[in-house]
Amino acid sequence: MTPDLRLTAAVASAKAAAATSRLLRRGGGTTIPGDVALAVDRGTLRKLAPKLRGGTVLVTGTNGKTTTTGILAGALEASGERVLTNRSGANLVYGLVAAAVADADLRGRPRSHAAVFEVDELHLDRAVEETRPRMVVVLNLLRDQLDRSGELETTAARIGDALRKLPDGARIVANVDDPLVAGQVRGLTGLVPIGVDATDFLLPGLPHAADARACPVCNAPLAFSRVVLAHCGTYSCTSCDFARPAPDYALTRIKAPSIDTLDLDTSDGAHLHAHVGGVYNAYNVFAAYAALRTLGVDQQQAARGIEQFQPRFGRQETLRLHGRTMRLLLAKNPAGFDEVLRTADELGHATTYLIAINDRVADGRDVSWLWDVDFERLARTQSTPRIVAAGTRAHDLAVRLKYAGVPGERIHVETDPQRALQHAADTATAIEEVAVLATYTAMLDLRAVAERAGAVAAFWQDGKAAP
Amino acid sequence: MTRPLRIGHLYPDAMNIYGDIGNIRALQQRARWRGVDVEVVAIEAGPAEIAACDILFMGGGQDRDQSRIFRDFTDFKRSDMERAVNDGAAVLAVCGGYQLLGHHYTDADGNQLEGLGILDLRSSAGHDRWIGNVVVEAAEELHLQPGTLVGFENHGGRTWLGPGLRPLGRVVVGGGNNGEDGGEGVLHGRVIGTYLHGSLLPKNPALTDWVLAAGMAHRDGEGEPATLSPLDDGAELEAHRRAEDLAMGERGRAPVPRRR
Repeated sequence: MTPDLRLTAAVASAKAAAATSRLLRRGGGTTIPGDVALAVDRGTLRKLAPKLRGGTVLVTGTNGKTTTTGILAGALEASGERVLTNRSGANLVYGLVAAAVADADLRGRPRSHAAVFEVDELHLDRAVEETRPRMVVVLNLLRDQLDRSGELETTAARIGDALRKLPDGARIVANVDDPLVAGQVRGLTGLVPIGVDATDFLLPGLPHAADARACPVCNAPLAFSRVVLAHCGTYSCTSCDFARPAPDYALTRIKAPSIDTLDLDTSDGAHLHAHVGGVYNAYNVFAAYAALRTLGVDQQQAARGIEQFQPRFGRQETLRLHGRTMRLLLAKNPAGFDEVLRTADELGHATTYLIAINDRVADGRDVSWLWDVDFERLARTQSTPRIVAAGTRAHDLAVRLKYAGVPGERIHVETDPQRALQHAADTATAIEEVAVLATYTAMLDLRAVAERAGAVAAFWQDGKAAP
Repeated sequence: MTRPLRIGHLYPDAMNIYGDIGNIRALQQRARWRGVDVEVVAIEAGPAEIAACDILFMGGGQDRDQSRIFRDFTDFKRSDMERAVNDGAAVLAVCGGYQLLGHHYTDADGNQLEGLGILDLRSSAGHDRWIGNVVVEAAEELHLQPGTLVGFENHGGRTWLGPGLRPLGRVVVGGGNNGEDGGEGVLHGRVIGTYLHGSLLPKNPALTDWVLAAGMAHRDGEGEPATLSPLDDGAELEAHRRAEDLAMGERGRAPVPRRR
């Protein structure tokens, strides 16, 4: 077969761009090579993806993409096949292209056997068209930064449209505990519904940040008999016959022995041990498990792959800084924030928090969402925590905490990330962990400071997108 | 003994997008900190106790929820809302709620959603969505200190006020009502409509107190709202100042309305 000259040119120039970008230290070169490749050959991904003999798996949803993708890719790789993935969170189409060209040789042939990509909700459509995936994992649709994604209904409909374009035989592993997801996957072929049947960690009712209160079919109110987190749980419509479908794979028990471990039992008899913590991660681990099983991986091998996974970029990593242990908990939206607060408080019993809120584009320019988060928890909890409010919107957070009922003397405002980390370290005792909760770019800022102090390595070093 | 100040939160589940719940929290806390008892009543679809409220609040919703709410509002709430407004209850309506106070909203396909018609204003879908930080010079009759309002707008709708109505303020940074007449929101008696999220009230404590005082005057059957005892607003005013600086730095990038 003659090599595709346009494709090989695209791959070569993208690799050169990646090298230049790293040389100039322009942020690890995770997406620029994708732009370059597409400029040379718009069909780069369309041509590379079918050459992956093991096919492509896409992971989408508002919360948990990176963790689920990491577990899934790692577990597949543990079975001996080379797996291509966009680990550093470059999840728009350019990020996928960049990862694919980095993996390809100069003749335009992938070195990997299969691909697992996390895909932004609004880019799923294009990713499906270009990669013709064998599986899509749909995690959830929780309220995201609205000024970026538009409204949740629109996002849900776009995911539904993308799923209807899947090639024959493709499987859809969908978390049907989320009624917005269940509404979009109704009646689709290849569906593998998954959900939580465990009753270990239930919320007393729908939290304020819950979005799907109305039936996606008839708009009547939904009745929830169980709420696991946000609007995910077991529900049925009060008017029509829409209800949470019976899952093919169910989580039957959730145990959280510590802030960063989970022990899970599945309906097909597996016991999973994972080094990530919190109820929200139970969903991520389980989605990866169900995907692995559906791909034909046996139970033991799936469980082994899950156990090997270590969290990445701000997702429950710990680092040592100023003689203290800091636990980084990335949170990008109200539901995510509710869950990391729940984890830090109930499982970590944290007494020192550093909460950093930025309002850059990747965080969402509008910080109104702070009012949807259950910060009242920090006033309610017995542990009377002290809180360092940081980030470009530290003062908005301070007001939010004040109106949540946290006494002023427990709030310290510090917009500078370096001084914020120092203050948090000074506040904490030597034996306790500082719970660091931050939005995406606020986490980048904090990590950059920590990195300069020698605490962590640059995050893109674990990403194959930047070889 | 005086009864608790009653705040009616219209459609708290459906119309709760963009963190507008912060407005309720601000009213509640600032009343409590002054020893004023507050009761927040959820006003859902169907017949409801609107006339018994001193302050009525309504936020914006997702499109699907909003069209459902428009119908319920006009079917069940119209006469009660009219009565409450005529009786001097305070109203704060944000975004979708603001549009609903007017005669109608014309969507992108030309369909007209009928509003309450309490205020002489009309809204329609614009060609693009205005998203960004906003600074407004508040109407002088509010006597706010500081005299600006800060917030965040995120709307595709444009609103035009009838000849007898005045805006809540003049846009300094942002789009406002329609980008043409320089106005943002509406202020009519004790009724405020606005496109500002943020949430609006927490970072604008003087406006919160204006709404509270108006609600208390309604509760006590008094014509003129009393002056409320001062609170330590250090955190709120610092956040206000920072938000204003941030928005001023974006001047020119945000849609700046032409002045006529």
